[in-house]
Amino acid sequence: MTGVGFLEELGIIAVCAALLVALGRVVRMPAIVVYLLCGVLIGPVLGWVEMSEGLGLVSELGIALLLFLVGLELSFAKIRDVGKVAILAGIGQVIFTAAGGYLLCWLLGFGLMESVFLATALTFSSTVVVVKLLDEKGELDSLYGRIAVGIFLVQDLVVILILTFLAGMGGAEGGKGVEVDAGSIGMGLLKAFGGMGLLLVLSLLASKYILPRPFRWAARSPEMLLVWSLSWCFLMVFAAHEFGLSLEVGAFLAGMSLAQLPYNDDLRRRVHPLMNFFIAVFFVALGVKVDAGGALANWWPTLVLSLFVLVGNPLIFIGIIGGMGYGRKTAFLTSVTVAQISEFSFIFAGMGLSMGLIGAEILSITAMVGVVTIAVSAYMIIYNHGLYAWLLRLGLLRFRFLDGKPGQGDAIRHAGESLRGHVIVVGMNALGREIVRRLVNKGEDVLAVDTDPVKLEGLPGRTLLGSVGYLSVLEEAGFARAKLIVSALQIEETNDLLAYRAKSVNVPCAIHVVDLSVVENLLELEADYLMVSKVDGMKAQLRTLKEMGVLK
Amino acid sequence: MTAFALLLATAAVAYGVGKWLRLPAIPALIGAGMMLSVVGVVPREISVGGGAGATNLLELGLVFLVFASGVELNPRRFKRFGKAVGWVAAVQFLLAMTVGFLCSLLMGMGKLEAVYMGGGLAASSTLVVLRHLQARKAMFEPYGRVVTGVLLLQDVALVLLIIALSKVDGGGWEVGKGLWKAALIGGIAWVAQRFVIPKFVSRFKPDEENLLLWLVAVLLGFVGVASWLNLPLIAGAFAGGFVFSAFPLNGLVRGQLSSLVDFFQAMFFVALGALLGVPEPGLWGQALVYSLVVIVVTPPLVALVAEWRGLNARAGIESGLLLAQTSEYSLLLGLSGVMLGHVSPETFSVLALTTVITMAATPFLGREAVANFLLPFHPLRKKEEAGETPRGHVLILGFGAAGMWILKPLLNQGEKVLVVDDDAVVCRELAKRNIPFLRGDGAEEEVLAKAGARDAKLVIASMRRVGDALTVLNFVEGVPVVARVFEEEDAERIRQAGGVPVMNSTAAADTFMAWVENNDRVRS
Repeated sequence: MTGVGFLEELGIIAVCAALLVALGRVVRMPAIVVYLLCGVLIGPVLGWVEMSEGLGLVSELGIALLLFLVGLELSFAKIRDVGKVAILAGIGQVIFTAAGGYLLCWLLGFGLMESVFLATALTFSSTVVVVKLLDEKGELDSLYGRIAVGIFLVQDLVVILILTFLAGMGGAEGGKGVEVDAGSIGMGLLKAFGGMGLLLVLSLLASKYILPRPFRWAARSPEMLLVWSLSWCFLMVFAAHEFGLSLEVGAFLAGMSLAQLPYNDDLRRRVHPLMNFFIAVFFVALGVKVDAGGALANWWPTLVLSLFVLVGNPLIFIGIIGGMGYGRKTAFLTSVTVAQISEFSFIFAGMGLSMGLIGAEILSITAMVGVVTIAVSAYMIIYNHGLYAWLLRLGLLRFRFLDGKPGQGDAIRHAGESLRGHVIVVGMNALGREIVRRLVNKGEDVLAVDTDPVKLEGLPGRTLLGSVGYLSVLEEAGFARAKLIVSALQIEETNDLLAYRAKSVNVPCAIHVVDLSVVENLLELEADYLMVSKVDGMKAQLRTLKEMGVLK
Repeated sequence: MTAFALLLATAAVAYGVGKWLRLPAIPALIGAGMMLSVVGVVPREISVGGGAGATNLLELGLVFLVFASGVELNPRRFKRFGKAVGWVAAVQFLLAMTVGFLCSLLMGMGKLEAVYMGGGLAASSTLVVLRHLQARKAMFEPYGRVVTGVLLLQDVALVLLIIALSKVDGGGWEVGKGLWKAALIGGIAWVAQRFVIPKFVSRFKPDEENLLLWLVAVLLGFVGVASWLNLPLIAGAFAGGFVFSAFPLNGLVRGQLSSLVDFFQAMFFVALGALLGVPEPGLWGQALVYSLVVIVVTPPLVALVAEWRGLNARAGIESGLLLAQTSEYSLLLGLSGVMLGHVSPETFSVLALTTVITMAATPFLGREAVANFLLPFHPLRKKEEAGETPRGHVLILGFGAAGMWILKPLLNQGEKVLVVDDDAVVCRELAKRNIPFLRGDGAEEEVLAKAGARDAKLVIASMRRVGDALTVLNFVEGVPVVARVFEEEDAERIRQAGGVPVMNSTAAADTFMAWVENNDRVRS
């Protein structure tokens, strides 16, 4: 409780990032770019923060949670239909980018080993960056989003292969040569791929036979569901680590095995705030690690290699995806996602440096290319639809192999978009259930919302599991397009919040008043109708007394 | 990462066992952590003041937990019961602290250590009690409001105590300076809460990710200010939480914060249990004594003051029973004492064990049956003057704010009516109108007898709890009872006991549907 080193560092990160995010809104800068800039500012430029063990752990947690979320979004069924394109495009891109990158480095005057390292570093795209941006855009579940995630997972396996290979190479004295330990490389690869197969089978079996029953029991308590899911996630991460696999693989498989459960959407929303918090530190930490001075000294190759990643990589991809029969837009949108290099590129170059295979300037160039390409590609991904339309108008996407393709899966559907003019009823107690039944009988399109899956069972109309304390739940419920929001809840704070949210989107709301003490607040919040169940009950009691003959 | 996975897996087991045994989460988590040490698998990264990543994360968890309590510090919640809250909180905290202090002296502790122990025993757990009240849907009941208010004031008192004790080595002047600085940081938080953050939020309209980032920035910013002022970090975290305590900000951040709090709560309390290990048998004995002190001292103190300030006897007893456990803040106080060298690790273990025992006892003590059992022993229970017991009347149990709806038609028809209610304001109003009434709890058999329930023509039960209506049905035997309920299963219970249920929920749905039919904005 006395040591503030870690908290001080985290405080500097949070305060600077919050200020920069506020400034960044003026120029509509994506959050990732703000975080990277923040890292460069407080790290290499001002020297306020250095990477500590605590920050490293927070960054790792962020990556694991992000990939866990991706897994939760993509069930086995969803990923299966893009498996072929992911494998072919993933491997194709690695080969073509590595070859192109090597040629470019050679032309820039780098030596053999330096060119090999730089070219290999350029082939990895950042799963974390792309998934974060697609998640922000709500397009993880789109066709191009699923293809991109599939490709990144294939790339992750290639990364594991290369890192395992590198780890099996011992640096000779003075860095003048290398010793290759074929046995250790073979064992490492066997362990990694055997482990991958084992974890895949385990997650498949778990999703079908092991997890459903206990999670059904846990789901009635939101906090228990969260802790159980996180526990499952980190057990899989631990297992992946033991097999020499990346934590991304473990977290993704853990998420995917839970994606089959009916609570995955609720879980996703609960994990989201945690991920947002930890992943922000990861991106700032990336910026902190940049050696700006070294990279500036090599500005020319940094610029050329960055342009290669930003333009060359997507072009290679358009060719591969388009050649496989996907439409122009899907090919373009998918290819834009690979226009950056990965955090693994830094690790890879760092290993080369520590083994004496490359000089420090190669690591600096890699890091700077990473920051530049991540920043620029973030804009490209955020504005990908506009960019597509613009390039199409300019006639730059008129490749022959894309002509005449039907453009399968080009349409993007955002969550909740199909809901319009509906009634949202929150809280499935007796009042909520009764209102849902009557509104459905009246022919209304009704969406029932509750945190308890059991209470949603057997209701007519649509249902949504989740807490309306999260804005994302209301967004998924399409609350801004609803004709009415009804809360049957008996929780004062949540009812107030719902009335406030309803007012902010100008949708009428009816709120349950359990106690007359809350009426004043709700009137201040301009709730349209207050359901005072006690008073209504009194009136019903009067009717009952008449029926009993007590009253005439 | 291994330590992290282990802590989470242990927390998952603790939640499962806790749910199965119906225990609150915190004692289950601490207990599971202790089990880790028994099995001998405590991660070496976990150590107080250690620099390892896992320990850093626990520090972060600690400030998040305190921050979350600060967010709940909204006086609006108990505005109507402000005086009762103030009196109950002050009397209970000071007297319980004194008793705890004296007990600790008797058990051979030094004065300073005894102050820590007294403070630790005086506070009750916000996390446990609020969860219990929500589960029982008792947040709106008068005793729910009073208990919520008392808990929030206790949190403030304990934060101030932690600050004062952190400065006690420097003498009275340093303590005064520390408290002055606490007032300063509180003042900054108040200005930020009233004038800065709401404007900032309404101007920028942040999405959930940005809001979370600003929330963390404010939290760690205040922690930084506390550190700069040489105050304990939790003072900054608490003040940071207060910045977000006003509506609508507290509502907007609650969703984001709840995931973080659930996560950090699990990690923090398991790690704490693992750090403590299983204390020696002698310490268990001491912890049992302290637990008894908490359970024996707190309920009567609260019950007496609460009744004096206007709650009925049963509500007073229920408030007392619900507050009869030590708090998560008690652990922070003890931990702070250990770090400063004021409290021995053994004493801290005793405090932690006391917390585990008393928190685990709360679900049992919080049962209606326990309050009903203790009711006859209440020494100051208001005895009504013995008068003539009415017969052939309509007995209305629970009048509330809407009772006139039912009363007027009965009076107009010339029925003989008697109202039973425990609210002083309601009784005053009835007296003004010359309507016969009896002040008391309609679920007490003594009151029912006095009100002539068995000789009534009809009983109309409008009490908050279905259990109360069932008590009445049991008591009156054969007299028709009309009872208002909310849930279908409650209606079924009334029906099975021979009563006539009237469902508030169905009635409210009727009225709501009529509104929908007649509202152009909704109908279109």
